[in-house]
Amino acid sequence: MTHLARLRALRRQAGATPSCGPPLPMDATTAIATPGACAPLCRPADAAKGKADGAAELQRRVASLRGLLGRREALRLPPGLDASSSRAPIGDRIPPGIEVAAGVHLIQCSYAPPPMPDAIHIAALRSLPQQRHARRHDPDGDQFVSGSRLLAIDTETTGLAGGTGTRAFMIGVADLDGDRLRVRQLLTTTMGGEAAMLRMFAAWLRPDHVLVSYNGRSYDRPLLSTRLRLARLQDPLAGMPHLDLLHVTRRAYRRVWQNCRLATAERELLGVVRDDDLPGSEAPAAWLGYLRGGSSHALHRVAAHNDQDLRSLMGLVAHFATFTGSPVHGK
Amino acid sequence: MLAIAPARPVALPRQEWRADGRALARRLQSKYSDRITGALVLPARAGRYADVPGELPESIVSALRARGVDQLYSHQLEAWEATQRGEHVVVVTPTASGKTLCYTLPVLAAATLNQSRALYLFPTKALAQDQVAELLEINKAGNLGLRASTFDGDTPGDARQAVRLHGDIVVSNPDMLHTAILPHHTKWAQFFESLRYVVIDEIHTYRGVFGSHVANVLRRLKRICAFYGVHPQFILCSATIGNPHEHAEALLEDRVTAITESGAPSGEKHVLLWNPPVVNRDLGLRASARSQSTRIARSAIRAGLKTLVFAQSRIMVEVITKYLKDVFDHDPRKPPRIRAYRGGYLPTERREVERSMRAGCIDGIVSTSALELGVDVGALDVVLCNGYPGSIAATWQRFGRAGRRQQPSLGVLIASSEPLDQYLVRHPEFFRDAPPEHARIHADQDLIALDHVRCAAFELPFASGELFGMLDPEPYLELLVEASVLHREDGRWEWIADSYPAGAVSLRSVADGNFVVVDRTDGRQTIVAEVDYSAAALTLYEGAIHMVQAAPYQVEKLDWTGRKAFVTRTSVDYYTDAIDYTKLRVLSCFELAAMGDGSVQHGEVHVVRRVSGYKKIRYYTHENIGYGPVSLPDQELQTTAIWWQLPLAALERLFGSRQQALDAFLGASHALHVLASLAVMADARDLQRSVGTGDDSWNVGAHRRALQPASASTSPDAFLPTLYLYDNYPGGIGLSAPLFDRAREIVDGARALVERCDCKAGCPACVGPVLAADEVLEITPKQLAVRVLAAFATPA
Repeated sequence: MTHLARLRALRRQAGATPSCGPPLPMDATTAIATPGACAPLCRPADAAKGKADGAAELQRRVASLRGLLGRREALRLPPGLDASSSRAPIGDRIPPGIEVAAGVHLIQCSYAPPPMPDAIHIAALRSLPQQRHARRHDPDGDQFVSGSRLLAIDTETTGLAGGTGTRAFMIGVADLDGDRLRVRQLLTTTMGGEAAMLRMFAAWLRPDHVLVSYNGRSYDRPLLSTRLRLARLQDPLAGMPHLDLLHVTRRAYRRVWQNCRLATAERELLGVVRDDDLPGSEAPAAWLGYLRGGSSHALHRVAAHNDQDLRSLMGLVAHFATFTGSPVHGK
Repeated sequence: MLAIAPARPVALPRQEWRADGRALARRLQSKYSDRITGALVLPARAGRYADVPGELPESIVSALRARGVDQLYSHQLEAWEATQRGEHVVVVTPTASGKTLCYTLPVLAAATLNQSRALYLFPTKALAQDQVAELLEINKAGNLGLRASTFDGDTPGDARQAVRLHGDIVVSNPDMLHTAILPHHTKWAQFFESLRYVVIDEIHTYRGVFGSHVANVLRRLKRICAFYGVHPQFILCSATIGNPHEHAEALLEDRVTAITESGAPSGEKHVLLWNPPVVNRDLGLRASARSQSTRIARSAIRAGLKTLVFAQSRIMVEVITKYLKDVFDHDPRKPPRIRAYRGGYLPTERREVERSMRAGCIDGIVSTSALELGVDVGALDVVLCNGYPGSIAATWQRFGRAGRRQQPSLGVLIASSEPLDQYLVRHPEFFRDAPPEHARIHADQDLIALDHVRCAAFELPFASGELFGMLDPEPYLELLVEASVLHREDGRWEWIADSYPAGAVSLRSVADGNFVVVDRTDGRQTIVAEVDYSAAALTLYEGAIHMVQAAPYQVEKLDWTGRKAFVTRTSVDYYTDAIDYTKLRVLSCFELAAMGDGSVQHGEVHVVRRVSGYKKIRYYTHENIGYGPVSLPDQELQTTAIWWQLPLAALERLFGSRQQALDAFLGASHALHVLASLAVMADARDLQRSVGTGDDSWNVGAHRRALQPASASTSPDAFLPTLYLYDNYPGGIGLSAPLFDRAREIVDGARALVERCDCKAGCPACVGPVLAADEVLEITPKQLAVRVLAAFATPA
C-alpha cells in the first residue's frame, strides 16, 4: 500500500469528505493470515510505552506511526511546502537588512513624509461608535496630537488560524523622525530569534505613542500580546492608545467601495499602485520556505510589501486628518 | 404498611392515593410473579453526619445555614480534610448524596480567603448550567461576592472576555477546554496564574474513546498550568464503578485519595428483574421489552408515581413516547404529561423539558442515557430500564435517579431479547453479586495521542526530553515535522502550520462532523435534529423514517458530503431499520496462540461496512411490510481485532457442509460477543463481531442470520471461516489486547452460556434468533455453536 493511499484511506475513515482521490485499492498481497504464516510480533501498545532507546528505535516508532498521519486532514502536506524540494544555494539565502541579534535582521529606510498636519485631532478621527472603547484609554483623546507621537505597526505572520500557534516573523513600524518618515522592520531568520525581536520592538515603544494600524486592534495587537506572553515578556501594548484605520475607513467608505481593504484605501485615497506586490497570503510560505533552507528571494518581497503597508498607514492618517467632518463623514 | 394498590387508582382523588415504589413493587410481584426473575430490596440507610469544619470562613458557614445545611455528611467532611492536606481527591458516592458540597466547600473557601480560582468540567452543558445556578444561590445566600459563570459554545462573544478576566469559578466542559481555552491560554493568563482547583464531575463517563481523549486534554491542561507556575489540585467525582480510584489515577496520572463511603441517608430501594413472557417456547421468542415497559409505565403513572423510562436507542425513545402519549396525552388541549428527552434535540427544547419535569408538570419522561447523569429533573419514584444498559454500573446509576425524596423507590430492569439482557435476568445472582465494571482508558492510543501531541505543540513548543503525561512524545513530534506541522530548531519543536488543530479533533467521536436534519415541510428550512457521523449511515438513508419527539419525518435526500439530511413531516404507520453487511481483511497479526484444535489471533484488520437496504416495520404488530434499497458510500475502518479460526481438517470432521460451518461460527460469535462485552465493559457498539469466510465476500453485520447469502464461497479453495471481534474505532481502542489475554475464559463462558440455555434449538439469548425451519434440523444451530466452542476448548 502506498503512503498516499493509506493517507487517503485513513482520512476517509475519520469522516473526511471523499473528495481526495480514488478509493483504496484492495491489496492482494495481504491475504488472510493463516496460523502458520503469522509470526508473533510485539504489541504496539507495549512499544509505545517503552522509552525509545536510540535513533533506530525512534525511527522504527515513527515508521509505525506514519500510517496514522493522514487520518487527520490537517496533517496533509501543504502544497509547495515539501521540505526536500526547496534547498537553495547559499548565495540565494541572504535575507534583507543587517543582523542585529542572533536570528534577527533589521531593515531601515527613510522616506519623504506625507503632508501631515502639525497636530492631529485623534478624537475627530475616532468620532465613531466602534472607537468609544479606545478613547477611554487615551488621555489625550480630545486633544491634538503631534505627528511625532504616531507609530504605525504592521506584522507579517505565519497564518490566520489564531491562537497560540500563530507567530509574527516580521514586525514593521513607521514614525516621523525629524522631517523624514522612518520605516524600521525586524525580521526573524530563525525560530529562536523571536524573543530578541520582541524585546527590540518593545524597546521602541514610548508611553506617549499612539499606535496606528489597519485591523491591528483585533489582529496584530492581540497576536503580539500572545507572543510576548509566551516569551514571558511584559506587554507594553495593552494600555496604549490605538487608532485602527480600518474602522475609520469603513465608516467613511463602506457604502462607496466594494471592500475596505488597505489596498483599496491606498489606491482610492493616496493613488498608490503597487508593482510586483507579494500578496499577503503568500507571506507565510515565503518565510517557511526560507526557514527550511529555501531562497530568501520572497522574503525581500515580503519586506517591500510590509514597507508599503506602513507608508500607506501614515499616508492615510495624513489624509483623514486633513479632512474635517464633511464631505467624508457626511456621506 | 400499604395494601396492594387498587386496580384503578386513577379513580381516587390524587391526594388520598399514597402510592410509593414499595407498593408498586408488591403489586407487580403478586400480579406478574412469572415474569419477575429476581427481586432485591436495598434497605434504607441512616445518615452519618459531621460538624461543619471550624476553619471554614464565616461567610460560607452562614451561606450554608441559609440554605438549610447545619451539618455535613461524613464523606463531605472527609473530602474537605483531604483537600486541605493538599491531596487530589476522587469522591465516589451515589446520586443525590451531596457530592457537590465535597468540591464546593474547598473551592469557595479558597476563593474567599485567597482570591484563587477554580475550573469545573462537566460532560454536558446541561450539568454545567445546573451547577452555576446552584453556585449563584450559595453566593447570594452568603453574600460572598464571587463570580461563577459557564463558558461553553453558547457563551456570547462579548461575555467571554468578562469570564476570562473576572470569573472566580468557570464552569465548562472538556470539549471547550480542548478547543477554546487551551489553544488561547494567553488570554486566560490571569485565570491560570491563580488557578487552585480543577473539579471534574461524572468521571465514570470519561472512559473508552472519550476518556482517552479527556486524559490527554488533562495532560495539556497540566502542561499549560506549569507554564503559568501553578499546580492545581484536582477534585474528581464519579458514580459507582468497579475501579474509581484506579480510573481517577489513570486520568490524572497522579496519586489520588479516594472517598467511597457515603454518609448520606437513602430510602428503601426495590429492584425487580423482569423477563417478558415467552410467546413461542420452541423459537425462544418472548414478548418485546417495549410492550412490558409501556405496561409497567402505565401502571406507575396511573398510580401517581413520577416515572422515568430509559430506552436504549433514540428510535425506541420515540416509540415508547408515542405509545404512552397515546394513552395519557390524547387531549391536545391539556399540557402534555409525557415527554421525550434525548440527545439530538435542540438545547432549548431539552431545557424546557427539564424545567417542566422539575416543576412537576410531567408524569412520565422517556429518555436515552442522556438522563443517566445528574441533570436535575426533580424527584422520581420509578425508573424503568427498557433493556440492559450494557453495564451493571450504568444500571445502578439509572436506578439511582429514583428515590430522591428518601421514600421507597422502584427500579425495574426489563430484559430485551438481546443475549446480554437474557443472560442477566436468568442469572439474577450475577446481577446481585457482580461488582460494577471497570472503566478503562487508553490514553496512549496512537491516533488519540497523535491528536493531542499536535494540539499541545500548538499551545506551547515541546522541548527535547519533555514528557507528555507519561508518554514520550518524540516519535509523534518527528512525524509532525515530516508533515510540515512542526519545525525543529535547537532541541525545540515549534508550531509552524497555518492551522488550528483543536478544531479538527473531536473528543467524542471519530467523526469530522455531525449531520444536521433539515425539515423542508411546506417549503421551510428548519434544523430539527443532529445525528453523529457514525450513526448517519444507519439512520439517515433516503427513505428512512426519522423520529423527533415521536413525530415521524421521512428522509427525502441525504447530502453525504454536505452532512445534511432533508426530511419532511409524514404520517406513516411504520418505522425503518437498516440492513448492514461487513467485510474484513487481516492486515497484520501481532500475537497468535493455539486454542484447542484451532487458533486465536490478535492483530490489525481492515473493515468495510455497507448499508444495503432497510426494512419497514409496522407499529404495534411489528410485522415487516417491505424493503427499500440504500446506496451510500461504504464505511471503512482500520482497527484491531481478535479472531478465531479452525484448520480445514477440523472443519471437515465437525461439519457436513460449508453452510453448516458458517452457521456454527455465526452462532458461536453471538455467544462470544456477549461474554466479551461483559469482560471488558464495552459498549455494544464499541465492540463489533463478524464472521468471514476467508474470501472476499460480504458478511452479515449483526444478528440477521436469515439474510446470510447462501453461496458463501466464490473461490472454492479459500474457505476459512473466521470469527472476528473488533474495536469499532480507527486504530483500535485497546479492547482486543485484553480479550486476547482472556480468550480461553471467554470461550469457556460462551460454551457454558449456550449449553445451559433453556431453549431447544437456539434463541436470541445464546446463539441468536433461529428460524422455525432450524427447529427440525437434525443438528440445531445451538448444537453447531457448541461444536465450534468445544473445538476451541479441547486441549491441543
